[in-house]
Amino acid sequence: MWWLIVGIVSGIAVGFFIRDRTRTPQISHVPVVAAEEVVPDSDSEEEIKVLLDALPMGVVVLLPDGQERFRNTVAMSIAGARHADVLVEAAAERLLVLALRGLESREQIHLAGPPQRVIEVRAIPLTDGGAIAIMDDVTERWRIDQVRTDFVANVSHELKTPIGAISVLAETIEGETDDELVLRLTGRMVIEAQRMSRTIDDLLELSRIELGGEMLTVDIDMAEVAAEAVERVSPIAMRKGVPVLLTSEKGIGMVSGDFFQLVSAVANLVENAVKYSDQTHQVDVRVITTDDTVSVEVEDRGIGIPADSIDRIFERFYRVDRARNRATGGTGLGLSIVRHVATNHGGEVNVRSREGEGSTFILQIPRVLRSV
Amino acid sequence: MDELRKGFHQQLDDVRTELVRLAASVIEAIPRATAVILNGDLDGADALIQFDDEIDSLSLELEERCYQILALQAPVAGDLRQVVSVVKMIAEIERSADLAVNICKAARRIYGHELDPRLRGLIARMGEQAEQLWESALESFEENDAAKAAAIDDMDSYLDSLQREFVQAILESHSENSIDLQVAIQLAVVARFYERIGDHAVNIGERVRYLVTGWLPEHKGAARFRQKSGDDDTDGIPFITPKES
Repeated sequence: MWWLIVGIVSGIAVGFFIRDRTRTPQISHVPVVAAEEVVPDSDSEEEIKVLLDALPMGVVVLLPDGQERFRNTVAMSIAGARHADVLVEAAAERLLVLALRGLESREQIHLAGPPQRVIEVRAIPLTDGGAIAIMDDVTERWRIDQVRTDFVANVSHELKTPIGAISVLAETIEGETDDELVLRLTGRMVIEAQRMSRTIDDLLELSRIELGGEMLTVDIDMAEVAAEAVERVSPIAMRKGVPVLLTSEKGIGMVSGDFFQLVSAVANLVENAVKYSDQTHQVDVRVITTDDTVSVEVEDRGIGIPADSIDRIFERFYRVDRARNRATGGTGLGLSIVRHVATNHGGEVNVRSREGEGSTFILQIPRVLRSV
Repeated sequence: MDELRKGFHQQLDDVRTELVRLAASVIEAIPRATAVILNGDLDGADALIQFDDEIDSLSLELEERCYQILALQAPVAGDLRQVVSVVKMIAEIERSADLAVNICKAARRIYGHELDPRLRGLIARMGEQAEQLWESALESFEENDAAKAAAIDDMDSYLDSLQREFVQAILESHSENSIDLQVAIQLAVVARFYERIGDHAVNIGERVRYLVTGWLPEHKGAARFRQKSGDDDTDGIPFITPKES
């Protein structure tokens, strides 16, 4: 019996990678496959329980009379919050009742979070008249689906909007004789062309960083990187009247990597901080070293990021502002570039943020000892 | 020896399980309502408003089961406290679901109005804190943990202070003309809804303490009143084991 359960669970685990991703709850009659009867001794039953306990998904096995035979550790706490576990448990119980009647069924539970989570519960009848429920956290798969769907919509919006605008403006100019209007329309065309150009530049930079082929690996002082990045953003900061304060000590935070990529990443973070701050709030850039890493922290006290967007801001073309307001003038690629630079250097980029209170981005790169 | 009244205790366990599930559904409704108001999600609002009917139906059904147990099983002592408390808690849960719906209705009224990031941040915080209070209430009930239940009252103070901060922020936004008066009023009401959701979690906590110890905070006031009126007779409080934990 236990071998059958292990077979089903492993089958499902493999099936998760290859099956079609049906979203709606469904109930279907299942041909219960007869397994070769293997009668395990009590030692092997214990062994199998240990194996099921090690699975990253929840497993609950019921006897034909509905009594619980086994529940692995994950099944007791899969959803990250007590109330969410209760909801998953309730769904499993509902589906197990159907499975005891010989029906296989599946249900996805979307939990609001934040962070949002999606748990898939599936119950299957067993040959002995019992039933098994599998609970799997499919959040990552669901998130990738969301990213893919949104990406197609976002990229076509970002690329088509300026082209559409340029085309309409050109058509209007074609038959126009009023010089003043022509001047105004050509001005708009230049703005749209520049936006298109910025997007293409960022896309090219992103793909160059992704390929990572041209990366020059030398010892770099992160204090110099931060200073260069702040210098690069200073015209925008001055125009906006946002003070930027750099705190760093030269020579203590050495990393191995590409100077230009790192400057580009830090400049992106500082530019964002300036864009989303007003004159009354200072942007702080700090270079902090630990035993193993060097971090550049960029802290602003601007508008902050909504909790449900924090996980998604590093996606290409993702925008927190769903109306895609152009006021900030970004391409939607800046943070993707930062993330790729961090990955290329064996590091990571993280963010802490509260809407209305500001954000802190932390670019963390592994430290190297300076060669003297 | 086999347990006496096994069926009755199974009924009590089932009622507890159902109450936990009802509470879990309502806890999930809190972040959903917050997402509705922050994202102007009209579909989400509609779904939550419809979901409230389900909560109403489940609440009535569970209450009915409690009355059946009272009528048919005549529970006493701790078992009686259990059933009576569950009846009281159903009302707290059902009312909290109504408040989540009220947040959605307010979101529909202010649909299309941009909210200041500071106000959005405070709404998110109130939602998180209200959810946290309920999460603690649920855990204290499941674990019969009177100490955890007693802490909910203090956790509620933070939610109250967030509500005051939020109202202050609304007034500031209004004086800067960055928020419409109607929107300001709706938002103030939303803050009140979150605060009330928190109060219901506190009430659940008090009921859990009563379940475990037989003591309610109201007993203090009642004792004072009797002392003042010269009536020392405690017979009027039938289930009391009157030592404050």
